[in-house]
Amino acid sequence: MSATNGRVAVSRETVLLRWLSDRGLCLATGERTVEFYRRLTASRLPGVVEVVPADGMLLLVLAPGMPMPAGLPELLDGLNGPPEMEPTMEHCIPVRFDGEDLPAIAGQAGYAEEGLIELLCSLTLGVKFLGFQPGFAYLDGLPPKLHLPRRPNPRKHVPAGSVALAGGYCGIYPLAGPGGWHLLGTTEAMLFDPAADPPARFRPGDTVKLVAT
Amino acid sequence: MIEVVKAGMQDLVMDLGRPGYRAQGVPEGGAADVEAMILANRLVGNPDRAAVLELLLRGPTLRFPGGGRVALTGAEMQARCNGKPMPCGRTLEIPPGGELEMGQASKGLRGYLAVAGGIDSQPVLGSRATFLPSGFGGWQGRALRADDRLPFGVAGGHGKKGVISFAGCKAPLRILPGPQLAGFADAALKALTADAFNVSTDVNRLGLRLTGPALGYQGGALPSQAVLPGAIQVPPDGQPIVLGWDGPVTGGYPVIAAIIAADLSCLAQLRPDNHLRFSFVTLEEAHAAWRKRQQDMDEAIAWAA
Repeated sequence: MSATNGRVAVSRETVLLRWLSDRGLCLATGERTVEFYRRLTASRLPGVVEVVPADGMLLLVLAPGMPMPAGLPELLDGLNGPPEMEPTMEHCIPVRFDGEDLPAIAGQAGYAEEGLIELLCSLTLGVKFLGFQPGFAYLDGLPPKLHLPRRPNPRKHVPAGSVALAGGYCGIYPLAGPGGWHLLGTTEAMLFDPAADPPARFRPGDTVKLVAT
Repeated sequence: MIEVVKAGMQDLVMDLGRPGYRAQGVPEGGAADVEAMILANRLVGNPDRAAVLELLLRGPTLRFPGGGRVALTGAEMQARCNGKPMPCGRTLEIPPGGELEMGQASKGLRGYLAVAGGIDSQPVLGSRATFLPSGFGGWQGRALRADDRLPFGVAGGHGKKGVISFAGCKAPLRILPGPQLAGFADAALKALTADAFNVSTDVNRLGLRLTGPALGYQGGALPSQAVLPGAIQVPPDGQPIVLGWDGPVTGGYPVIAAIIAADLSCLAQLRPDNHLRFSFVTLEEAHAAWRKRQQDMDEAIAWAA
């Protein structure tokens, strides 16, 4: 097969479809990812097992052996009307700002530690997508000053409940494990409970406020 | 009930997994070699989705106080029932008090043991599949240990005895172009299909790290994208990682290609030091390959009269 980029169809605007294996269709949805995620999930397309949002893209996971759902490009075009979606939730997460990297981040961004904490607690963060770990949400809404690359050397152990930032996102580790983000503090809030349905506390489109304790 | 006398290297309760939770960061998971799992279930008269044991490389020793009808498929694992050699790929009745001793796999990596009635552990998020990274599902969210006692359901089905003859995996593994294929150098694309890759010792349900020619990526940094098992990610060192069944639902490395659904069961049986090759197919060929595997499975079992 020639080295094509796997592009199979182009819908109006920016929604580009590409296959990922024969089980996934990638949609470039840019800024409208959360909106498309919510609308496509609600539209329950035949043959689509689930809709997975990520950073500026969506993945439609198909049942094995399924071709592209008929009329998908037209359907995507038709999603341009006013959003009709279930309401999102606002979460307040109590945070102890005792993270190892807080002083360094404050220094780099030109704040005193107290000033940085005040800034973080003034933001309304938005849940863009979940990944990395069950319940780990990528939260946007950080000012550009706080857009830092990942640490060059990831930590082998980041405790559960760590509130951290990297790559323009803020995130909270539901589980202990290795991690390369800068640690701001910790929370005792439960973010993932496999016994609950839904198991994750945050859903794409929800908003999050950090509250200093 | 099954009593674990001695645990194997990693014995996990598995079923067909839990689709529907990826948007919450939870991968689908489930049996790595789905075909072997389904065939084991069919041999004992279970529905395809019944929970089985996925046994890694060296199996456990299990006692069946009340007996049971079992089948072992997948990797070619040496097994003995009450000391007598037990052939793989066929239905076997274990008498009450019988002991099933499974040893090392001589070929392949994962064996599947089905018991009539299915392993009856508590479902979590709609599935009995063990998810080790977060420690839930399966048997208490972990691999089996000595003295565990696993209930199984009431045997249903036909009660017939069967034998599998199933075409195994044919090299090379078939792939489709990945979303970032165009960002790779021509030399990398050539190397991907012309050269053999070696399976490193870093092989688990999260992924398989391969060694071979370095695959140079020339595109820029990528935002996190949603990924699937079988996606071939290329980190900066150019040595590809094939994502496994419990791998994260999003990833930040470019995906050069992805293994087709029909060949994921073959991926499950690769063990460290195995060589593998990749070959591009078209989407139509991928779909046809999936249908062919389903048909082969439907025709795989010969039933005794």
